[in-house]
Amino acid sequence: MASSAVQSDSDDGMDEFMDKFKTQRYKNAFSEDGWEEEFNKIPMFMKTAPEEIDPKKYPELACLQAIIHDEDRPPGEQAKSLKDEGNAFFKEKNYEKAILSYTAGLKKKCGDQDLDTVLLTNRAAAHFHLGNMRSALNDAASAKKIKPDHLKALIRGAQCCIALRNFSESIQWCDEGLKVHPTDKKLQELRASADKHKRAAERDARKAKVKEKKLHGEKEALLAAIKDRGIKLLQSVKPRRYGSDSEEDEDDGSSAAISQLSLDGLSSQEVTGAQVFLDEQGSLHWPVLFLYPEHQQSDFISAFCESSCFVDHLAVMFGEELPPWDTDRKYHPQNLQLFFEDEEKETLYQINPETSLLKVLQHKRFFVKAGTPSIIVLKTWYFNLGTSCRVRTTSGKEADVLSHATRQCFFRKVQHI
Amino acid sequence: MLSDSETAELLSFLTPATRPDVKGQATECILGLSGHRDGCRFLRTKPDLIVALFALTSDPSVAIVKNCYHILINLSADETLHQVLVADVKVLPVLLKNLLDPEYLFSDQICTILSNLTRHEKTCKTVFKVLQEEAGLAQLVEIFCTEGYNKNAKLHYLGPLLSNLTQLPEARNYMMDKDRCVIQRLLPFTQFQASTVRRGGVIGTLRNCCFDYAHHEWLLSEAVDILPFLLLPLAGPEELSDEENEGLPVDLQYLPEDKKREDDPDIRKMLLETLLLLTATKAGRQTLKDKNVYPIMREFHRWEKDVHVTAACEKLVQVLIGDEPEQGMENLMEVEIPEDVEEKLKEADAKEQQELEKEPEKRQEEEKEEEKRRTDREQESGLIK
Repeated sequence: MASSAVQSDSDDGMDEFMDKFKTQRYKNAFSEDGWEEEFNKIPMFMKTAPEEIDPKKYPELACLQAIIHDEDRPPGEQAKSLKDEGNAFFKEKNYEKAILSYTAGLKKKCGDQDLDTVLLTNRAAAHFHLGNMRSALNDAASAKKIKPDHLKALIRGAQCCIALRNFSESIQWCDEGLKVHPTDKKLQELRASADKHKRAAERDARKAKVKEKKLHGEKEALLAAIKDRGIKLLQSVKPRRYGSDSEEDEDDGSSAAISQLSLDGLSSQEVTGAQVFLDEQGSLHWPVLFLYPEHQQSDFISAFCESSCFVDHLAVMFGEELPPWDTDRKYHPQNLQLFFEDEEKETLYQINPETSLLKVLQHKRFFVKAGTPSIIVLKTWYFNLGTSCRVRTTSGKEADVLSHATRQCFFRKVQHI
Repeated sequence: MLSDSETAELLSFLTPATRPDVKGQATECILGLSGHRDGCRFLRTKPDLIVALFALTSDPSVAIVKNCYHILINLSADETLHQVLVADVKVLPVLLKNLLDPEYLFSDQICTILSNLTRHEKTCKTVFKVLQEEAGLAQLVEIFCTEGYNKNAKLHYLGPLLSNLTQLPEARNYMMDKDRCVIQRLLPFTQFQASTVRRGGVIGTLRNCCFDYAHHEWLLSEAVDILPFLLLPLAGPEELSDEENEGLPVDLQYLPEDKKREDDPDIRKMLLETLLLLTATKAGRQTLKDKNVYPIMREFHRWEKDVHVTAACEKLVQVLIGDEPEQGMENLMEVEIPEDVEEKLKEADAKEQQELEKEPEKRQEEEKEEEKRRTDREQESGLIK
């Protein structure tokens, strides 16, 4: 646009220029297919920032970043930019990245206390949302140290304490805050909430204590009842492998004697976990194992009342139907004889089925093993034939089932029962 | 009493420059005077002496300052001296300033003086006004609730002071400001074991606040939750059924076996009166019924031996288990009592009082107790001889 000489050419020049478009494509145009992608790469038109800024792919963006994070800028400015960056990440809920930005900002040590307080408080918020309560609390505390009246830090600190279930500390944070901001609703709300939780936790502790005491009392009553009846519990090797049903193991409160007794005498090795208990009328109910060594079978009665007799149970167990393993069809209630084993003396003692469980348990040679009395059941015809027969008992030892001849002296013992 | 010349001489001894032993003697002399009513009345006519004494509270000798404070305590116990103290000697601003100082050695004495000054409405109003100007009631509550605020003083007498202040509606409104957290800070002190004075003061404050039934709903709500704090001192270790327990406020559930009830019968009576006040409105009655207050009262009634306290308990129980009053009379504080009914009620009250005191052995015991309480109260009011 200078001399008139050019001007006289300009129209031609213009025409020439315009003509080009008819033949040549515009250089550096967006490609038809990927134009959206390319559009998005231009910083001004970006909808979202890329995760990583590769200078090759996004040269303009890398350039801008370099300007922002230029090390030559004063630290205060850098820190502020990092704060803004962190806030942007925070808004996107990208809390990890936000934490990184805030941390970088704090590292600048720009000396601006207000800025540092905000960085710490914001970082605390980011940690809070990630569930890192300890870190959040630490940051809030650091912020509070710099600026004791910073409301957001105070609120955040109180919230963290509640999340950590440290309610007394939370109330302290709130009270500190309320000193400076007496009418702040959030602080009042948090205080009331922390107070409520604290009192509920105290109640729960009291409730647990009462329950524990009750349980302990019941246990003591049970052991006393057993002892009063003169029933002997057998000391056995501690079953260390049963972690779950050895609640007696964790019973710190009980005296040594009781825990000893309960551990050794009552911890049930039965899969069912059944245990002797004392009912409201003061009767004991025992789990009882019935063994049928002739058929290698057993039955388990989970609650045999001490005052009931064996006949009643036998009637139920064998009365209506005979067990499937009784192939010979001989286990009729009236055909059965009951014994218990004295392991130490390797003797069987016969039980009159009409007697009660209690009488049997009180027998001077009866020892309750693992909290579960065992009763051996055999068919009567062994005796009727007068033959003796070796029977394997639960201890694995073999004992002679006494022959008819010696039955008489045996019965003398039975009289006691 | 002293002649004019003797008074003038005494006055001359009460200057900071005087020899310490002379100062000591002079203050001792006045202390003796202040120990009885005539002496106080005499001193009332000599405000200059009191002004001088007050100035001596900045004396370097601790013994002298102590004497001065004791004199002031004695004087403040007599209502006729209040005007002189407040208007002529102008004690309030200085006292309040010292009270706020965590290092001050005589804060307990200040509390006692202020407590005495606020007993009656007239001076109480003045104290409150100055308080609001100088420090603010919030500050007072803050100091009261901060454990170990002052290493040299227990500050228990701030309790009765707060209680006295709340006889004024403006103080009550401040205490029960919904936008702040003031009264809530006092609640845990209903069980403060270490000091009956502090505990009684707090409970007295709460009772006074409950005269304003407009605040009842807020007081009973979760924002304040006053009820458990009133019930805990009255609840005992007796085991309640699981059902009864679950209905109670959280703080009263599953109380341990060693739970003790409030020792002081006067305080127990105050607690019951406060609870009774809370039953004035229909909503309040409903809340107390819903929160299983009755079983607590039932067990309490069984345990209580003091006749007067039992009477207060029975009044409360009557409302808890009685029928709802008829329409129009639901707010017990607003019910208009016709004159003749009021007369009859007064007679009935008097008769009840008589009957209570008629029982011979109980009367003797009570008289003995009264004597003890009177001396205790005198000590409390700080009449130091």
